[in-house]
Amino acid sequence: MDENAGSTGEEQMSGLYMNHIYKSFGTINVLNGVSLHVQPGEVHALLGMNGAGKSTLMKILAGDLSPDQGTITIDGKEQQFSSPADAKKAGIGLVVQEVDTALFPALTVYENIAADEIAKTKQKPLLSWKQQKERAAELLRRVGLSISPAKLIRECSLHEKQLIVLAKVLSSSARYIILDEPTAALSETETKRLFTIINELKAQGVSFIYISHKLKEIKEICDRVTILRDGNVVHHGDVASLSLEEMIRYMVGRSYTTAQRETRTYGDDRLFEVKQLHIAKTNTTVDLYVHKGEIVGIAGLVGAGKTELAESLIASSKTTGEWWIDGKRYAFASPKEAIAAGICLIPEERRKQGLFLQEPVRTNLTVRLLSSLTKWLWVRQKKETSVAKQLVDSLQIHPPFLSTSVRQLSGGNQQKVVIGKWLKTDARIFIFDEPTKGIDINAKQEVFSIIRSLADEGKAILYLTSEFQELLDIADTIYIMVDGKLIKRVPAHDITYEQLIYYCSGGEMDGTASRFGRQEKASAISS
Amino acid sequence: MAQPAVSVAKKKQAPSLLEFLYKHGTLLAILVVIAYFGITQDRFFTYENFSDILRSISIVTLVAIGITFSLIVDGFDLSVGSTVSLATIASAAALVLYRQEILVTLLVPLLLGIAVGLLNSLLIVKLKLPDLLATLATMYAINGVQLTYTKGFSIYNDMPLPDGGTAPGKFIPSFLFIGQGEVFGIPFSVLLMLIIVIASHLFLTYTKPGRLFYMTGENLEAARLSGIPVNRYRTYAYVISGFFAALGGIVLASRIGTGQVSAGASFLMDGVAAAYIGFSVFGAGKPNVIGTLFGSILMGVLLNGLTMMNVPYYAQDIIKGVILVGALALSHIQKK
Repeated sequence: MDENAGSTGEEQMSGLYMNHIYKSFGTINVLNGVSLHVQPGEVHALLGMNGAGKSTLMKILAGDLSPDQGTITIDGKEQQFSSPADAKKAGIGLVVQEVDTALFPALTVYENIAADEIAKTKQKPLLSWKQQKERAAELLRRVGLSISPAKLIRECSLHEKQLIVLAKVLSSSARYIILDEPTAALSETETKRLFTIINELKAQGVSFIYISHKLKEIKEICDRVTILRDGNVVHHGDVASLSLEEMIRYMVGRSYTTAQRETRTYGDDRLFEVKQLHIAKTNTTVDLYVHKGEIVGIAGLVGAGKTELAESLIASSKTTGEWWIDGKRYAFASPKEAIAAGICLIPEERRKQGLFLQEPVRTNLTVRLLSSLTKWLWVRQKKETSVAKQLVDSLQIHPPFLSTSVRQLSGGNQQKVVIGKWLKTDARIFIFDEPTKGIDINAKQEVFSIIRSLADEGKAILYLTSEFQELLDIADTIYIMVDGKLIKRVPAHDITYEQLIYYCSGGEMDGTASRFGRQEKASAISS
Repeated sequence: MAQPAVSVAKKKQAPSLLEFLYKHGTLLAILVVIAYFGITQDRFFTYENFSDILRSISIVTLVAIGITFSLIVDGFDLSVGSTVSLATIASAAALVLYRQEILVTLLVPLLLGIAVGLLNSLLIVKLKLPDLLATLATMYAINGVQLTYTKGFSIYNDMPLPDGGTAPGKFIPSFLFIGQGEVFGIPFSVLLMLIIVIASHLFLTYTKPGRLFYMTGENLEAARLSGIPVNRYRTYAYVISGFFAALGGIVLASRIGTGQVSAGASFLMDGVAAAYIGFSVFGAGKPNVIGTLFGSILMGVLLNGLTMMNVPYYAQDIIKGVILVGALALSHIQKK
């Protein structure tokens, strides 16, 4: 499509070329000859689903990893990066998604901006702070930030921190800057401001590699795009000539069907409902309801605010609003109260939030059952063992020993323990936050069947995930979550995988997405 | 899927030397130390000496059990030494200055200990200050309180008062029995210690609150999301720590028969060392009361033997420090 990367002459070599990059980890090929060409002064989008190879490719570019095969040339000069410092020297800059990891919170803005230089200056033990301050002020102007260079990082907003990292990257005269999900945590106005700055820098000849799941932004800010799928480039070209639907189709590749399973039946009465639930962390208000026996999915990209919602539903973080369970109104101030009313959360970070790692399987499983197993404070060991044994058997936890510490179990078995601790309680509302994260395919099926049987028993299930295919497999109803808000409630069999991505990427809620409708899909994919 | 089971089984079959040392190192060390002193010191294997060792261990163990509770909820209590001093002075003052009988003499220091615990938990649980710094502050403040109250002078029988007379009360026999009395030839304080060790061990191992203490400490967030009232348990732990430190102070006052200022200071280090040594006993890998008992036995025997060898008390601090570093290193190895 473009000028061919590999063997062309000096003239065409301006810009950044990654040529036929191969990388594998063990037996898994992550990149199969990926080429990427970024011209000077352009914003180049890098798209792909999770696991497509974006991160690996960018790590190679940033000098974090070295490729098995392939070359990198910048303005005609071949580069060998053996460390991030090499990449930096060659003009590669990286603005990571978690900007806090790149900054020192207790230091001032100008000290942070000068940090790299301070670290590498060996011959000059004395620094001129005045000089550093002036330099920082100038860089801050370049990124459109009007804060004092003497401000402490920990007093800066997230948006400011991001621009400070950008300023820091510019200070090392980077000409190719990787922006990894730069808008994930930004408000709309902050996003607009960021785009203005990107455009200004672009005019000065700086190029950006822009990684984002928010496809609407790609259309807005990017000039060209390279789309990866399963370690291969499946498309590259101008953004303007590519519709959102086409982008999604390239990213997804094969056609996913909607829920191809017998429709489950569930009750008509709302077992669980929240009204005007205000989530302090995302500063958003949500309403949602789940019928008796219904599996309700909440689809949202990483950073859409799913975990914040889950934590609010169980009153773990600051939340106000109304909870309704079985027609009764509640207001919860702590997880303890929410749990007492029948809500339970299977948290996303299972090792950090769900398990007592040093403890054996037995005590992890019975932590919520102790009251019924206790007589005069005394835990009745025999009874406890038999209850735990039943759970281990019915959940098929492997190895089936009660005294193994859960630390030694595989991810899937750990997850079964986390779920298992609620099965014999009187919990009626189960909230699953990314329950299949880091577990293998078999365990995933087992978790699904546990969830289905819970629903069949008449529990209310909420299933929050960014793995949209899972929702089509298991959910009866799906809420779409964007930027902390629930913007749509649809029956699972009325929506396609592509539509889910479309809506969650910020696609409009009008008729546009109907182009992914079921009828046309088969023909569309083959074209 | 069958892999984990196999590897677990294998691990059990062939414990490495390091694992063996970790599990039984403390017991081994106690035996080696006893054997060494037994051979080199004639007076070591005497009834008087053993009863002396046990008496001194009993106070350390009480204090160390309190520390163990704070460690179990993943906290730390540096103020125990000062609380021991405070309780010693409080009980002595009740007896000597206010002529109180046994009940008040016991209640006042214990309530003071509980109050210190509540203060600590206010700072740590409610105000969310770091535990080490908060209890460092209370450690100094409490020490200052007991020094201010006594103006730096010890409290003893027939002590002269500022108004010219002598103190009205004295250390009554029922109080002195706690630290000096014997039951069937066993020092009462040792019996008290054993009863409390066994009771705490059973409580922590077999009861619901005991288990919730451990769970709170092991994973605060998971405990909270499991509906455990974590802040309440953390508060309990500091209160229990203050209570046991006060009990240790009572036994100390009774044993020496005077209210010496700052007498409890050395118990902080001994108690912390005992509790950390206890981590590794029988490979528990976590703070536990039985381990703590063995830890304080090791400390007690060692210090007794060193005293016999005429190692000055200030040099003994070097050895205490080295032992604590060793215990910390061991508990770190286990974590890896």
